[in-house]
Amino acid sequence: MADFKSEMKNIQKSLLTGVSYMMPMVVVGGILLAISLTTGQATKDGFAVTNPFMLNLNILGKAALAMMVPVLSGYIAYSIAGRPGLTPGFVLGYIANNTVGASGAKTGFLGALLLGIVAGYFVKWMKSWKVHPSIRAIMPILIIPIVSTGVIGLLYIYIIAVPLTSFTNMLFAFLKNLNGTNKILLAIAIGLMNAFDMGGPVTKTVTMFTIGLMSEGIYGPNGIYRVCPGIPPMGIFLSTMLFRNKWTDADRAAAKTTGLMGFMGITEGAIPFVVADIKHTLPATMIGTAVGAVIAAIGNVKSPVPHGSFITLPVVEGKLWFTIAIIVGTVVTAVLLGILKPRISEAKKE
Amino acid sequence: MKVVGVTACPTGIAHTYMAQEALEKECKKRGFDYHIETQGSIGIENELSQEEIDEADMIILAVSISIEEEERFEDKLVYHADVNEAVSDPKSVIDKAIDFYKKNKK
Repeated sequence: MADFKSEMKNIQKSLLTGVSYMMPMVVVGGILLAISLTTGQATKDGFAVTNPFMLNLNILGKAALAMMVPVLSGYIAYSIAGRPGLTPGFVLGYIANNTVGASGAKTGFLGALLLGIVAGYFVKWMKSWKVHPSIRAIMPILIIPIVSTGVIGLLYIYIIAVPLTSFTNMLFAFLKNLNGTNKILLAIAIGLMNAFDMGGPVTKTVTMFTIGLMSEGIYGPNGIYRVCPGIPPMGIFLSTMLFRNKWTDADRAAAKTTGLMGFMGITEGAIPFVVADIKHTLPATMIGTAVGAVIAAIGNVKSPVPHGSFITLPVVEGKLWFTIAIIVGTVVTAVLLGILKPRISEAKKE
Repeated sequence: MKVVGVTACPTGIAHTYMAQEALEKECKKRGFDYHIETQGSIGIENELSQEEIDEADMIILAVSISIEEEERFEDKLVYHADVNEAVSDPKSVIDKAIDFYKKNKK
């Protein structure tokens, strides 16, 4: 039992190591993307940036955000297994954050987190093999990276990706059945799902669903959905301002960027905070986002663009309710975080 | 008494340096020789050399993440402390480290 406890502590340490390397990546991606979006035009296909200079900033920002998840899993594995963990960690994180296999599954940052841990322990185990001295030299550059990446990667693609896809299909069917029959329930489902994995398979299901309805001229569910992306990051930012004894100064400094990213509809800004403390952060952001979504449903908010948060305010229908929904959702998230998170001094004793 | 140490926190912009300062102050008060390395988001600063680590009577790692160049401390008796505790209560960290060395040396 003591072993299990110290192992959990090691995993926690690895997650924090991953976050510490990912942080600058999130900031670069978030800020550059946010700057470029300020000049964007809301169109039917999303937020279109047309100015060539801003478009280049947009490309840079997107590149950094695409790297952040592989960097997270890479350094989680590195923290557990040392240098040989980096290669499988990076590759598997990339795989988790992109669609793979015939089924097109994507597990996002939660998948990457898990794969980083698995890769780390797998490599650590491989390092303990007693091998012939003639082979030992090629272990770190040939055998460990190829075997660990190959074995875990293929297991992931063949074993995890398939049930995951049927799971997202199930969610999709669930959402479709809810539509029309019970708008409030639909809003709760959309809010919870959006905040659950911040861009992973569950969020993607909602995106497919609302965009699918848009093509049929139904803009309501998309309006509900587009209230959500800014709530987790802005809620975290607000909470760091309101509850000084629950967050460190470093949290407060980092949360300023996060808040700005939320304003611009980039949920990813919240990921470092979620990874660092899943069990307190996720319930707060999910409930806060669901509250925002319900208010949007009550106010009949509609949105014609596949992007969210305040930056799309000029084009949404029901601007007042859209604003109220985001603000209330943000405040609820912030207050719940303040209640749920342990005081800094208490956390220290653990 | 020669003390060397490393401080590192996840964000690497505030607590890392606060812990360094607190430990240095406490060592100074006790008249110890000290050298505390920081590993913030900027990387390693105030780096410890292998000789310093070899000669040290006490090694304190006040870190909450994996650190760089950890192999320097391999085969050494190392006291692991919490980086937050080093900020808020450096006295107790040093006391515990001294106890730890008394118990485990030889």
